Amino acid sequence: MLLKEATSDQMDEIIARYPRSRSAIMPLLHLVQSIEGFVTPQGIELVASKLGLSTAEVSGVATFYTQYKRRPVGEYHVGVCTNTLCAVMGGDAIFAGLKEHLGIGNDERTSDGKVSLEHIECNAACDYAPLIMVNWEFFDNQTVESAKALVDSLRDGEPPAPSRGPDRLPTWKENSAVLAGLNDGHANEGVQAGPASLVGLEIANRQIPEIGEQR
Amino acid sequence: MTITNNTENVVAQAEMVTATIDGFEVSVPKGTLIIRAAETIGIQIPRFCDHPLLAPVGACRQCLVDVEVNGRAFPKPQASCTMPIEPGMVVKTQLSSPVAEKAQRGVMEFLLINHPLDCPVCDKGGECPLQNQAMSTGQGQTRFEGTKRTFPKPINISSQVLLDRERCILCARCTRFSEQIAGDPFISMSERGALQQVAIYEKDPFESYFSGNTIQICPVGALTGASYRFRARPFDLVSTATACEHCAAGCSMRTDVRRSKVLRRLAGDDPAVNEEWNCDKGRWAFTYATAPDRLTTPLIRNEMSGELVPASWPEAIAVAAAGLSKSRAAVLPGGRLTLEEVYTYQKFARVVLGTNDIDFRARPFSAEESAFLASHVVGSTISNADIDSADSVLLISFEAEEESPIIFLRIRKQVMKRALKVGTVAPFLTPGASKLNAMLYHSITEIESFFTNKSLILVGERAAQTPGLLSKVIEIANSSGAKIAWIPRRAGERGAIEAGAIGNLLPLGRPVSNATARVDIAAAWGIASLPSGPGLDTLEILKSAATGQIGALLIGGLDPFDLAEPAIALAALDSAFVVSLELRESEVTKRANVVFPVASVTEKSGTFLNWEGRERGFEQVLKDTTRVSDLRVLTMLAEALAAPLNLRDSVSAKAEFDSLGEWDGERTPAPSEPIVAAPTPSAGEAVLITWRMLLDLGSMQDGEANLAGTARKANVKLAAETASEIGVRDGDLVRVSTEAGSIALPLEITEMPVRVVWLPENSFGSQIRRSLRVTSGALVRIGSEA
Repeated sequence: MLLKEATSDQMDEIIARYPRSRSAIMPLLHLVQSIEGFVTPQGIELVASKLGLSTAEVSGVATFYTQYKRRPVGEYHVGVCTNTLCAVMGGDAIFAGLKEHLGIGNDERTSDGKVSLEHIECNAACDYAPLIMVNWEFFDNQTVESAKALVDSLRDGEPPAPSRGPDRLPTWKENSAVLAGLNDGHANEGVQAGPASLVGLEIANRQIPEIGEQR
Repeated sequence: MTITNNTENVVAQAEMVTATIDGFEVSVPKGTLIIRAAETIGIQIPRFCDHPLLAPVGACRQCLVDVEVNGRAFPKPQASCTMPIEPGMVVKTQLSSPVAEKAQRGVMEFLLINHPLDCPVCDKGGECPLQNQAMSTGQGQTRFEGTKRTFPKPINISSQVLLDRERCILCARCTRFSEQIAGDPFISMSERGALQQVAIYEKDPFESYFSGNTIQICPVGALTGASYRFRARPFDLVSTATACEHCAAGCSMRTDVRRSKVLRRLAGDDPAVNEEWNCDKGRWAFTYATAPDRLTTPLIRNEMSGELVPASWPEAIAVAAAGLSKSRAAVLPGGRLTLEEVYTYQKFARVVLGTNDIDFRARPFSAEESAFLASHVVGSTISNADIDSADSVLLISFEAEEESPIIFLRIRKQVMKRALKVGTVAPFLTPGASKLNAMLYHSITEIESFFTNKSLILVGERAAQTPGLLSKVIEIANSSGAKIAWIPRRAGERGAIEAGAIGNLLPLGRPVSNATARVDIAAAWGIASLPSGPGLDTLEILKSAATGQIGALLIGGLDPFDLAEPAIALAALDSAFVVSLELRESEVTKRANVVFPVASVTEKSGTFLNWEGRERGFEQVLKDTTRVSDLRVLTMLAEALAAPLNLRDSVSAKAEFDSLGEWDGERTPAPSEPIVAAPTPSAGEAVLITWRMLLDLGSMQDGEANLAGTARKANVKLAAETASEIGVRDGDLVRVSTEAGSIALPLEITEMPVRVVWLPENSFGSQIRRSLRVTSGALVRIGSEA
């Protein structure tokens, strides 16, 4: 089996990181996605046999988390946040615009296989709302137009660098390997905490000396 | 002088904790959950996910109560099924707290939002915790005006278990049972949110030997049994407390009948034996008693045509009595009778036929085993409690999950609870043994540092197939102080031993060879004397019958193909005058001169003795039957032979048995046989090892296709070296053959000794005794089928 040959050693390496092997179930499912693009039945069976779990247990985990896909997604999986803050800042409009622009609905993939679309829940970047995630990398402060331009460049094979994170936008499979715990060497690249995230800290730094004086 | 440490035997007094529930003071052992403590004073808190034998989970939220500790109240109601009582805790249930009452009503309203109102067609309707507690704790109206979530229904999660997902309230009792109790997590919670559901992985159905328990503990009608679905309303059923007739574990059961027809069986609640569980065979294998080939009238063989023809009872009794009195007769009662019946059989042999030629063993056995049963099994008081307190448990010739599933659950409970050390002497680690985390030993001689004086050795009946093994077990027990318990497969074997249905024993362990013992029993029976010569065993009886030394056989439940040498049995049946007492047509009835149809367990009352020797009494389920029990047939025969047994029914047989009293005289000495080396196979040969699977072609599982669908598929197991020696790979067809015949099955490469082959003994595609005519330990040929 292709999957088995491709991942067996990596699976053993990941399993060895945990005192109890079953703890490795989530990274292993990401590893399956890094090869297959989604969690395939073969992937579930392989993870179950590697961890000594039943297939039902592995399937239970794989179907619980939305990050595990049961159908192929695009090379670039575009997630538009439609939770409250992003939604009122334009997220709903962006999601509607992208559906129309790409001609696909939620959880669907373009016919060229390049881009898939999903409305996602909060990704803890409300200070950059409205937010788009591509393969779980941040694209901050989006508009309908910038979002359309973004997916067009993804389909053209010229992905722009994310607003924060690595210098180059990894593919879905590449980032699945990162989520599996494999180091791609891009960990310290790019902006780590952007200006908006640091506003509160700056205010606190300014105020703390004053608070100290009052005491 | 021995210095004993008395503190070891003192049960630690549980530390008690006192709290208040609804204004009543309650003292419970530390760690008791609020919901349990409330039960002790008769306060019922509604619940779904809570089950006393499963770990707390707090999944359904139905048991919310107000709790106050150290004068500080929790800001909102708490789940009483997950919170232990603490000293001074003040608990207010729905009975005294309007907040708790409203919270419970709210949870019930949530649970009912997506629950269909199909109670009138639901199997559970009428005995449904959700229905009942919706009445007691819910409100008549819902505020939900949307469309209920629905699923396609039902789906088969095995051939026997059906799942209606929209009825499920996600309490996780079924998934927790499968994981925590059975160790078969083939179902799990899948999906999430509104679509969350119990699911199997689509390629791996819910084929657990214990799957039926999930149906029983499902608090709604989400899990139903294919065999019972839509058959009855619970309030139309008449229930009888019964005992399982299948294996020697002796589970308590409840048998439910509607219009004189058994529709279902449930596990009974008996903490000392089966807790609240049973296996799927015990639950579903009962249709054999209503099979189309069930005998209905006595039959006698017409001397002219050679055909069996229906006869009246008096005529059949007369013919049978004449045949039995004409020549030397012997008795083979079989291993599935009640204590009362088998006691009657042996009394019939000794009083009416004047012989000790009686043997209940309708399976491979040995003379060594006869001595072992007399020296170590009869009167033994080793019990399930010894499993609970053992330092280590060694399984010898005993696959607990296949051969006695409830003992398997009891051992597994201790393995989970306190990491009980388990060892198994077997050719490979079976799924059941690996669920016990068992250490595998290929031979009893390689076991070291396993035993303490609180170890327990569980020996299966298959041990008799290995010469010297039982003697070796005794030797090990004697040197280590470990206890030995013998676990037969059939429900009636321990009772047969206690009743003395074997050539070397009279009732209750009295040796036949002991004159005092014989006088004892003769006096109790009011006869002058008992036959003193040692009785023949099953094989000797059959050999003698085949050669004409024994002219008549009185046979209970016996299948020639269960015996080590079916050919001898068939020859004996062909040549002797055979009186058969049977439920259904069999190899014996086909050859019998007189056949009496007898009652099944549902048509009689009686007592099984389980492997512990514990009485498992059961009532007659079908009260209006006209069936006649073995006991009645024997008393009629005895009267016809002018030697009355003075046993009217099972009650008087039991009373007489109980009045005999324990034997305090000398016991039969233990066997001491040398271990015989197994034959050495050359290339292309292997030593056969075989045992029965729980679900197989056993005649007591006939007529239940849904159950049969969950049986484990038969395959042949070989070590990788053996497989390469004969040029086969995993999955290839391998042919196993003897002079008598052959079996071809797909290969599963297994870690096991070289040149050993394993096949199931009586499964679909693998009937060892019919095809190969050998037993475990025989040398067979193996080869590629291609």
